Amino acid sequence: MRRPSLWPRSLAGQMALLVAIALFVAQAINFGLLLRERSQLRFEQIVTPTVTRLVDAADRINSGGTADTGHGHVRLVPANPIAADRIRRGSVEKAIAQSLSQAGLATDAVIASVRPIASDDWPPSRYGRRRAARLSHFRSILDVAVHMPGRGWLVLRAFWPNSDPFLIWRLIAQTLILYAVVLIPVLWIGRRISRPLKSLADAAHRFAPGDDHEPLAETGPPDVREVTAAFNALRLRVIAMLDEKDRMLGAIGHDLRTPLAALRVRIESVDDDTDRARMADIIDEMNRTLDDILSLARLGRPSEPPVDVDLSALVDAVVEDFRDLDHDVTFEDGQRLPIRLRPALMRRAVRNLIENAVKYGESATVRIEPEPSRVRIVISDNGPGIPSDRLTDVFDPFTRLETSRNRETGGIGLGLALARAIVNDAGGIIRLENRTGGGLDAIIELPR
Amino acid sequence: MAIDEPMAENPHLLLVDDERSIREPLAKYLEKQGFRVTQAGDAGAARTRLAAYAIDLVVLDIMMPGEDGLSLTRHIRETSDLPVILLTARSEETDRIVGLEMGADDYVVKPFSPRELAARIKVVLRRAASGNRQVAPESGSFGFAGWVLKTGERALVDREGVSVPLSTGEYNLLLALVQRPRQVLTRDQLLDLTQGREAGAFDRAIDNQVSRLRKKIEADARNPELIKTVWGGGYTLAAEVTRL
Repeated sequence: MRRPSLWPRSLAGQMALLVAIALFVAQAINFGLLLRERSQLRFEQIVTPTVTRLVDAADRINSGGTADTGHGHVRLVPANPIAADRIRRGSVEKAIAQSLSQAGLATDAVIASVRPIASDDWPPSRYGRRRAARLSHFRSILDVAVHMPGRGWLVLRAFWPNSDPFLIWRLIAQTLILYAVVLIPVLWIGRRISRPLKSLADAAHRFAPGDDHEPLAETGPPDVREVTAAFNALRLRVIAMLDEKDRMLGAIGHDLRTPLAALRVRIESVDDDTDRARMADIIDEMNRTLDDILSLARLGRPSEPPVDVDLSALVDAVVEDFRDLDHDVTFEDGQRLPIRLRPALMRRAVRNLIENAVKYGESATVRIEPEPSRVRIVISDNGPGIPSDRLTDVFDPFTRLETSRNRETGGIGLGLALARAIVNDAGGIIRLENRTGGGLDAIIELPR
Repeated sequence: MAIDEPMAENPHLLLVDDERSIREPLAKYLEKQGFRVTQAGDAGAARTRLAAYAIDLVVLDIMMPGEDGLSLTRHIRETSDLPVILLTARSEETDRIVGLEMGADDYVVKPFSPRELAARIKVVLRRAASGNRQVAPESGSFGFAGWVLKTGERALVDREGVSVPLSTGEYNLLLALVQRPRQVLTRDQLLDLTQGREAGAFDRAIDNQVSRLRKKIEADARNPELIKTVWGGGYTLAAEVTRL
């Protein structure tokens, strides 16, 4: 599944993003609750005293007094003074009507509306003009008119707090501070975990038997340290196993080579020249296979350092060795082509490919195709080729092809496997291709 | 010692190998080839035989239990000029180089053809008798005209440090030339010096290899400055050679 590109790839990034999202949701819920609580509080702070004052005024009127207590806050007027086009506060009206009926005050109409503070709401003496102006930022006036059937309208003014205009900014600031306080440690922890994991992954990718790197430093939290320690131990076990394998193959090689050498000496007493030559060939063949096995086994731990080599001269030298043995191998000497590799091993790889070409295709034509970023060595023969579905199988050790190719020798053996291992070790690729028109191309492609 | 005297009718070989299965048939074969052969199963026995007989040449297995062939080679070199041919396995490449640097004359790789060994023995004996012996033929490096021939790794390295691989024949020819700078070497001499390394017919082989070597090391292969042709003679390396 492809994730959107905004999704961070690193552990620390993902942790930080998740925490940020969670924080934001929590803040939003908090904010909602806060708003609700504030409006409820406002409601109670205003509706309850308003109802009390209305009930007091009604009591006074019913007992023959006047609505006003002298402060001029509650008045009895004959007609509804609140203009019909003003926006009414339904929730306030409903709450007041309910409270009034609970207090036993009969009414058939409650009208409530909020407006900005006007200059004539209070005499200047009471609030200074400047203070009144500042007050108008935070407060408005709630006008309430209650119809008392048969008596007229009870009218009342009260302060009505404005909703806080800075609330949203306060919330944003609060969120940002939270982010800073929480996300910085999260990022730090994330990096502390992910950095050792990254070097662990790098070390695992890099790991090649043979190079004696220092064990990976155990850093980070204990869990991560444990993983690193386990990797280090695993690495040591792998190296020990490979060492063991090399030792064993070395012992096998030596133990097989000695009887082979003894046999090679003894066949000299065979009188029939043809017989003797054939026996010598078989012993040579066995010895080559033994060499290949040992080389393949040791390839992961090469003793030869890579040096700058003229690839053209290298191929030429191999070809020349074949020509000295009267094999039909041609090579068009190209330009100087310095490249960094292990020369003895690469000679071996090229030699194995030419050997196959000579063995199955009678002759070989070798050419080098240099390109800016890579170079190809192409070895062409005129043999029967290989069935296209087996072209990659033959690189596996001891592959057998049920065709004319293996009739005499019983298998391709290790030559191609060794060549592939050498070329891969040099960072290149190796492949076989059937040419249209017949013949096989073996291609080594190396980076320059 | 024996090598300063005229070669005996039947050269006396000391064959040192811990493997009886190789040593005994090999001794029998070499005796058939006209050598007198004394056998030794380990380095201690070899030392005793060396003291007891007038040995002309030692054939020595490198890998032996106890004191190995390298140590014995060192011992032989410290006390005499006796020619030594090493028997090695391919996997003992470093041992082989060390052995040659210690002064062994030649080596064969197991499993070897007894005929080839016999041929090598004859070549080494002939060189020893004629005084044309190369002491430590493959040791060290030779510098000439900006090139370095490293004998340990069998590599030719140019001015810029780029290694130029040589075929076996080219390498042997170049080695013979750099070991005798400014000497005229006939085709026959060159054949003798490079032979034994490989089979094959050598009619034009030297000329071919010279022209191939020229292509690799001369600035202009048509006007060679380094490997010069001597009329009626052969070839010579016209350059200062320094041992590195």
